[in-house]
Amino acid sequence: MVDDDPQIHRFLGPALDAAGYEPVRADTGAAGLAAIAHRPPEAVILDLGLPDMDGKQALARARLFFHGPILILSARDRELEKIEALDLGAVDYVEKPFHVGELLARLRVSLRQRLSQQGSPVVVKAGDIEIDLDRRLVTRSGEAVRLSPREYDLLAKLVEAGGRVVMHRQLLAAVWGPANVDDVQYLRVFVGHLRQKLEPDPAAPRYLVTESGVGYRFVAD
Amino acid sequence: MIPADPPRPDPDALLKEAKKQGRGRLKVYLGMAPGVGKTYEMLQSGRRRRDEGLDVAVGVVETHGRQDTEVLLDSLEVLPRRPIDYRGRQLMEFDLDGALARRPSLLLVDEYAHTNAPGSRHPKRWQDVEELLAAGIDVYATLNVQHLESLVDVVWKITGVRVRETVPDSALSAADEIELVDITPQELLERLHAGKVYLAETARLAGDNFFKPENLTALREMALRRAAQTVDDQLVGAMRRQGIEGPWAAGERILVLIGGDGMASSLVRAGRRLADLIGAPWLVAHVERPNQPPSDPAAARRVSEALKLAEQLGGSGVVLTGDDLPAAVIDYAGRNNVTQIVIGKSRDSLWRIVTGRSLANALLRRSGGAALNFVSAGAPDAAREEAPPRAAGPGPRRWGGYFGGTMLIALATAIAFLIDRFSTGGDLAMIFLAGVLISGLAFGLRPALWASALGILSYNYFFLEPRFSLAIGHAADVFTFTIFVAVAAASGWLTGRVRDQAQLSSRRAAAVTALLAASRRLSGAANQEEAARVLAEQASAASGGRAAVLLPAAQDLVVAASAPGAVELTTAEMAAARWAWERGEAAGAGTGTLPQIGWVFRPLVGVRGRAGVAGIEVDARSAPGEERLVTAMLDQGAVALERAQLAAVTVENEALRRSDKLRAALLNSISHDLRTPLSTVMGSATTLIDYGASLRPEVASDLLISIREEAERLNRYVGDLLDMTRLEGGALTTRTEWTDARDVLGAAIQRVERRLGLRTLSRDFPAELAVVQVDPGLLEQAIVNVLENAIAYSPDGSPIEVAAYEDRGSVLIAIEDEGPGIPRADIDRIFEKFRRLEEPSDRTPNDRNKGAGLGLSIARGFIEAMGGRIAAASPLFEGRGTRILISLPKTPVAIQAPMAVAS
Repeated sequence: MVDDDPQIHRFLGPALDAAGYEPVRADTGAAGLAAIAHRPPEAVILDLGLPDMDGKQALARARLFFHGPILILSARDRELEKIEALDLGAVDYVEKPFHVGELLARLRVSLRQRLSQQGSPVVVKAGDIEIDLDRRLVTRSGEAVRLSPREYDLLAKLVEAGGRVVMHRQLLAAVWGPANVDDVQYLRVFVGHLRQKLEPDPAAPRYLVTESGVGYRFVAD
Repeated sequence: MIPADPPRPDPDALLKEAKKQGRGRLKVYLGMAPGVGKTYEMLQSGRRRRDEGLDVAVGVVETHGRQDTEVLLDSLEVLPRRPIDYRGRQLMEFDLDGALARRPSLLLVDEYAHTNAPGSRHPKRWQDVEELLAAGIDVYATLNVQHLESLVDVVWKITGVRVRETVPDSALSAADEIELVDITPQELLERLHAGKVYLAETARLAGDNFFKPENLTALREMALRRAAQTVDDQLVGAMRRQGIEGPWAAGERILVLIGGDGMASSLVRAGRRLADLIGAPWLVAHVERPNQPPSDPAAARRVSEALKLAEQLGGSGVVLTGDDLPAAVIDYAGRNNVTQIVIGKSRDSLWRIVTGRSLANALLRRSGGAALNFVSAGAPDAAREEAPPRAAGPGPRRWGGYFGGTMLIALATAIAFLIDRFSTGGDLAMIFLAGVLISGLAFGLRPALWASALGILSYNYFFLEPRFSLAIGHAADVFTFTIFVAVAAASGWLTGRVRDQAQLSSRRAAAVTALLAASRRLSGAANQEEAARVLAEQASAASGGRAAVLLPAAQDLVVAASAPGAVELTTAEMAAARWAWERGEAAGAGTGTLPQIGWVFRPLVGVRGRAGVAGIEVDARSAPGEERLVTAMLDQGAVALERAQLAAVTVENEALRRSDKLRAALLNSISHDLRTPLSTVMGSATTLIDYGASLRPEVASDLLISIREEAERLNRYVGDLLDMTRLEGGALTTRTEWTDARDVLGAAIQRVERRLGLRTLSRDFPAELAVVQVDPGLLEQAIVNVLENAIAYSPDGSPIEVAAYEDRGSVLIAIEDEGPGIPRADIDRIFEKFRRLEEPSDRTPNDRNKGAGLGLSIARGFIEAMGGRIAAASPLFEGRGTRILISLPKTPVAIQAPMAVAS
């Protein structure tokens, strides 16, 4: 936990402790980097506003020697900051103020993702939806859902991220190719199609969640 | 091989087309003479268009009592005319404003060449039509070919009738379509005899033998040719727009040379006819010779009228400068691919022709390929001039010169008599020479020549033997006399010229000085109003009349400045000013729009566009040379106004930018300072909810405490924002009462005690302290804010000292910390709003204790609201420490009430 706000440590420490983790506290970027180098943790929670250096700078430097998931905490809600942090190698971000439960859920997703990279699960479930990545098969309540190749590619890309946010550019580059990284309107249309086919209420999506200005997230069970 | 560029559309042609977008279309029914049936034809087309569903109205049509025409008119909507009182008579004129308000799709307007009654907006009806077209209304109009400006001379030569109502050729070229209404002359004459043609109108023409078959044939040919030419023009225009290469690029080009003599406008018309004949573009040039004394005003006016005529006839006018007239012409002709030069035959003096130095000869020798066309003095222009200007002859001052010269010679004669009486052998001729020289120096060239002639006669008559006769007795005297004549003439000429030139250059120097002064004052103008005022003053001084500068304000023009004194403009004058503003053309006296008013309004056009309008009262006394000075001054004024306007916009933008910055700072502050405590509240609360069961009791209670602390912090911050809003909104009310500052300090210290951490707080209060009349609530909040600031900016464990004491007229409160202090440069700015936000908000140490940067600003607001003052001093010692000093005025205590003193 790298954060300069003692109040955050005050509740996050006990919360992580209670959830079965072993939190290590650092109040500055330098202390955080030293702690990570000294004894590499499973995951890092990093505040972007640090007294001694920019959080993004700390992130970039940590990425040089630490390969585990890094989650960003930020009071700043500027999309650009989030995108920069994700580009620099953060796996996800949580905006202040936040629910501890949400932060811990994201942390679990990141850790699971790390595990799944070794032997990834090929079937992902979300509500009554089942996505079989191996067979390129999507079912809803046991019935096959017909998806166009583009729609499937988009869904698969989101599902593979394991609940983490996938940025617009990443999605566009993977599904439409590098020439189309700025055509965000494609995404809107295709995500809309997917929601029509998969969501119980397409107007209030539960599985295909929009992260305004950043990208989309697939929320599995 | 170089690839040939594909033909590109001519930008000029495209521009012309674009300009037409949104304009109405003009169709002209062209006929050779009255009675061919133009109006009938126009009305029939109008009816057809109306039957097609178009909104058609008749603006003005003269039926001249013809039955068949009136029948056509019956079923069409005819707009009411506007009565205009003119010399006791009421003229029913076409109502332009009514037509513009009615806005039909198509308006039928008879008599395109009609001259409007004085007092109308435009002198000519074709100008009314121009405005209708600009407003997007399609117009059908009728025109007889003899009314065309360029044909006036020809018509006069053929028929002997001088047409007064004319239409510039450009007004016909502006037509999108021309329909020739043609019948044979024979048929027309038959109709005339049958009484089918309105006779009263034609009576005059008939009396002038206008309706002769040969005349009608000639007119008919002209009409046919003009119609055909328009078709040609449209074809060429279409080809140019589409980028089709044509033969015009290598075609002929005509240069018409005009001077200030009476032939100027005849030459222009001749040039136009030649241009029509060979289908070539044409230019009209006048050469100004800078080293020559300025020509008389009448000549200058003739030149400018001829140049204006050229523009009206579709040519373009240029003014060339150069002392060597043929060289200037040849140079210009060479650079502009001129193939034909038109000059007047009377341009050369006999002297020049005799010596072979005539302009024609010079041009012939050097023209290098361009053909020369000579035009003899044709239709005398003077016949067209309504009132030949009286100013052309020598004015009273000039006569004064001749009189002076005469007196000088008389004086010289008298002196010569005296000398002759008392001495012999003196060269009396020298006395006369002196008289001639003085005349030249005092009165200029012509009086000097006059004096020399007079001197020669006088010398011969009085002093050469035989005396009192003009005969010369001695052979030697003949020689002396010849020398004398030569010397007198030469010295008179020389001194006269020297003096004239000196005067000319001093006039020019005066003009340049005036211009410089205007320029200096204009460039010194700080704002638009001042620039307008200076411009009005200078323009008034330069023109000799009253002047006004109008600037745009709220969709209209208002008089921003005038000189001398305030100027009230009449409705007609304001109309001219608005015209000048909207069209970017001069309006008023001496122009084509509203010429009857006493002012001329010119748009002030700067680098970026129109900046305003300058109005100058036309003064009969103002000389033409001053015209140029005024023009130059107005140009400078336009630039100065524009600069002032730009500066105003810049200042506005700067203010906007700053307020934007402040707003961004406020938003940033709110998002950060509200969210930080909220993060703790939410995080701690959710931790307790999710993991409360597995937390140790002391951890759980710590989380609850942190929730309370952060909620309090949030509350303080919201309170700060509310205080600030109250201060800024002027809603702050103080409830003053007699207060002991020590009580308030104690309460304030109590409020911040829990946040002191390891810092120690010492108090230094005297046993006796005067009471002050303040609002204790506001004072407490101000002190709390200062204390919180001290805590936020000092390290844990350092001391904070609070002291109160009396000084002459006030009670002082000092709060000192041992923090890092404030840089000297920033000391005055710490009381500014959101001061802290100029630092990166997330990266400062001790962030937790800091507010939004409003605390000190609020403290100052409160203290000043109670009549006190607040100031900061830093550093206090070794580059550290800050002292905030609050001073509260000791007001004389009216009632000595016993005060409870807390220690």
